[in-house]
Amino acid sequence: MFVHNPFAALPASIPPIAKQTYVAVMFLLVVCGTLFDLAHKGSASYFFRHRRAVSFGARRRVSTGEATALAVETLVVSVLGAGEFCGMWRRITHILTMYGFVLYVLTTAIMVFAYPTAAAPGPAVVAELWYLGALLVCIGGYWFWFLQRVDVAAEGQSRFRLVRADLFVVSLLASATFALIWAGLQGAGSDVWANVFFGLYLLASTALFASVPWSKFAHMFYKPAAAFQRRIEQANGFRGNLPAPADRPATFGSARRQPQNY
Amino acid sequence: MPTFVYMTSCDGCGYCVDICPSDIMHIDTTYRRAYNVEPNMCWECYSCVKACPQQAIDCRGYADFAPLGHSVRVLREEEKATVSWRIKFRDGREKNFVSPIRTTPWGSIKGPSEYAPPSAAAMSSQELAHEPEGLKVDVLPTLARSRLKKGLV
Amino acid sequence: MSRKTVFVDADILVVGGGMGGCGATYESRYWGRDLKIVCVEKANIERSGAVAQGLYAINCYMGMHWNENQPEDHVRYARNDLMGLVREDLGYDIARHVDATVHKFEEWGLPIMRDPKTGRYQREGKWQIMIHGESYKPIVAEAARKAASEVYNRIMVTHLLMDSRHPNRVAGAVGFNVRNGDFHVFRAKAVIVAAGGASHIFKPRAAGEGMGRTWYAPWSSASAYALPILAGAKMTQMENRIVLTRFKDGYGPVGAYFLHLKTYTQNAYGQDYEAFWRDSIEKLVGDYVNHHPVPTCLRNHALLEEVKAGRGPIRMVTKEAFKDPHKETVGWENFLGMTVGQAVVWASQNIDPKETNPELTTSEPYVMGSHATCSGAWASGPEDYAPAEYQWGYNRMMTVEGLFGAGDTIGGTAHKFSSGSFTEGRIAAKAAVKYVMERSKDRPEISEAEYTQLRKVIYQPLENYRIGRNEIVGGTVSPSYLLPLHGLQRLEKIMDEYVGGISSHYTTNEPLLTRGLELLAMLKEDLALLGASDLHQLQRAWELQHRVLASECVTQHTLFRQETRWPGYYYRADHPHLDDKDWHCFTLSRYDSQTGRWDMEKAPVYHIID
Repeated sequence: MFVHNPFAALPASIPPIAKQTYVAVMFLLVVCGTLFDLAHKGSASYFFRHRRAVSFGARRRVSTGEATALAVETLVVSVLGAGEFCGMWRRITHILTMYGFVLYVLTTAIMVFAYPTAAAPGPAVVAELWYLGALLVCIGGYWFWFLQRVDVAAEGQSRFRLVRADLFVVSLLASATFALIWAGLQGAGSDVWANVFFGLYLLASTALFASVPWSKFAHMFYKPAAAFQRRIEQANGFRGNLPAPADRPATFGSARRQPQNY
Repeated sequence: MPTFVYMTSCDGCGYCVDICPSDIMHIDTTYRRAYNVEPNMCWECYSCVKACPQQAIDCRGYADFAPLGHSVRVLREEEKATVSWRIKFRDGREKNFVSPIRTTPWGSIKGPSEYAPPSAAAMSSQELAHEPEGLKVDVLPTLARSRLKKGLV
Repeated sequence: MSRKTVFVDADILVVGGGMGGCGATYESRYWGRDLKIVCVEKANIERSGAVAQGLYAINCYMGMHWNENQPEDHVRYARNDLMGLVREDLGYDIARHVDATVHKFEEWGLPIMRDPKTGRYQREGKWQIMIHGESYKPIVAEAARKAASEVYNRIMVTHLLMDSRHPNRVAGAVGFNVRNGDFHVFRAKAVIVAAGGASHIFKPRAAGEGMGRTWYAPWSSASAYALPILAGAKMTQMENRIVLTRFKDGYGPVGAYFLHLKTYTQNAYGQDYEAFWRDSIEKLVGDYVNHHPVPTCLRNHALLEEVKAGRGPIRMVTKEAFKDPHKETVGWENFLGMTVGQAVVWASQNIDPKETNPELTTSEPYVMGSHATCSGAWASGPEDYAPAEYQWGYNRMMTVEGLFGAGDTIGGTAHKFSSGSFTEGRIAAKAAVKYVMERSKDRPEISEAEYTQLRKVIYQPLENYRIGRNEIVGGTVSPSYLLPLHGLQRLEKIMDEYVGGISSHYTTNEPLLTRGLELLAMLKEDLALLGASDLHQLQRAWELQHRVLASECVTQHTLFRQETRWPGYYYRADHPHLDDKDWHCFTLSRYDSQTGRWDMEKAPVYHIID
């Protein structure tokens, strides 16, 4: 069932150029939204000011080779491995959602640009990966949404409370969920309902990419930069004014338990 | 000196919310990260600072009397049973301190049920658990009622 | 609003998971292997209470096995410091057990410093030993968790429940979950209250963000007093508020400085001022001025008089001592392990005690029961030697049956500090276990009508806010509800101006106290109109309720004692002298929550030895 390219199966009245323009506009919205966010909030200025302060407080110079190695480490550990999350289950749901999202977006772009027509819908594997991506987003995302969100898990807020911090994950989940429903209905032949969910899918996806200046979307770019900067600060001795780790053996175990909260 | 949370380091794990004795570390609704909602009820106990796995929490002295530019940061390493402090003065001077925090492994305390149950004689005596051995004297001290003297009035 | 009600049955309910509560939980399990021991705490026992940031010294340790001190020596010390008025039976009881508590702490993993020459615990002073206590509370909490059947964190207990069939007998407690708002009803055969004393009842010196930098933890919201007061328990020495001489702004501790670093105080002109005031102090308190060591309140008094005479600021002379690197380390670590904020203040103002003699100040008043002060509930003493007037049943049981106390909650037991509070928790626990076992056939019954009514009262501030909010556009100003912070600031101003706070140099008199009671009465009425926007504010609302009731008690006691017993803590300007003829006694109060009346009386003081 979930093997056909849903973009190719859209009504012929929607020309490929329309679909491609939409995807390109979404991509631009992300770029422009992020740049706007940086400029409007001055967060880039803050970041470079901080780097200058660090260079004054640094104890040693970090060589280019060292910096490169740290950048690679950041990419592998913090980005690909979701290392910025200290909780194991948060890390897992983030990895599921992140890789799902990447898969979902990349295969969308491939299908829309390379295989946009019913005549040549492309190899089944591309579509299958699209479904897989959306599914991973839903698994990781709903798991996070209902069970792990810290305002629910730590603060006792209702699972159904919506605040601005939820804008990104809700629009992402809506996009992936409506996408799956739309494609499923399309495959089952019920055109009217398929179109309804296609409309919802478009709304959710547009909201996802257009809300970058107001949502946490852009943090997926900021966090790796911050992680790299932190590694530089460890290496050059500034360490964010933190003391150095103690020179003692780690033989006492740890009492750290998951927050029990209430 | 109330606490604040670094935006780029906090991943919204909730450890600080869990530990704060004053119930003032909560989750912001725009970023889903932690922040101090009531700095005038912050004792600077540093519980949240020590609990944060990302060292994302720091303190700034109370605005009423602490000029800016200082820093007092801590690294509490449970596995090493140490706490390390780095104090930076406003004029840049620095002082560093390291202390032990525990001499036994975490979780190693013998619970009271693991001791032999107390006898009926112990129950009716004035001795508390692990006495008199725990006092390292032979006998729990006591007083004769006759020694008590009524004070004035 | 649909709220879940959670019923918890316990044999022993420990209210408060601080030092006293953890001691009570541990000991309850030792003696009551099969009992259900429940500990309930409004925060998280891992770091709750006054020891959240750690301690650098244990200030109550005899060292009996090294012949350093005997329990009666400690009683004399506490009695001397409190100008003669302590419960010597209770104090002796703590002093004779506390060594075992401290040895257990060491066994559990608390690093206690050792004197390299003698191998004994490193003494800071006669009663104090030095520790690396950053994790003092987590260690003690681990012991409590291994003992309790259940530990309930983030549940604020607001009221005790009484037995519906026997008057004057406790049956449990009610409270609410600070996170999810559930209503909790605890049914227990015995209740041990080991909650916090009272900070934030007098206006603090720092009124902005700095409000948080109180000497005693800002989360000590007087539940130790309000819970027993509402249950009808007699309270004692509530007038005995404490004022502390500490480092300016940060209120960092001075004990290690005086005792271990051997620093001393000077006025702004480099003069030793204490001797100058000796004669005038003698006119106030008579022979007490000759006691050694000089009582804490009298040292405060000298500093206060010196400042009033215009020769402040008073400074701690540290420049010589800090030249010694070991002493410098102790001087800083003393703060880092106990009051980090002081290190922050000095770092922010570039104060290095090697180069500057830092300022001292006297704090705003606090009411608590475990330091150089002993406000709290009137409790029954140890069976083996307490005089008849001090004994009516089980050790540490208050005048309400089945209601026990430890730590700040219990009055008359000064200078017990952390180890003594934990020890008192242990004492109360053993007694509570005996009480439960001896009354096993006669369990108390709670009344559904009582807890249903309390449930409405507890959540009322949320309703007040929700409904009243419709009247205004926004902001904090409403004509129909009061935010908890508003109520707190009003309380602190009333107490400051009328009951002897900093703005009057701790001085009050009958007309002021009477007026203060009038204003407190109006504040009490306004408490029915508190508005809480969320559960965190609801916690603040109930902390305020407890603080106001305790403050009323403090004011009644201050009015009742017609003398100035502790100059330097507070002054009755209309009775400026110590009066051993009429007032060498305890003050007792009992509150009737139905009528709002306070009944005051005196109780005799018994001395162990001259």
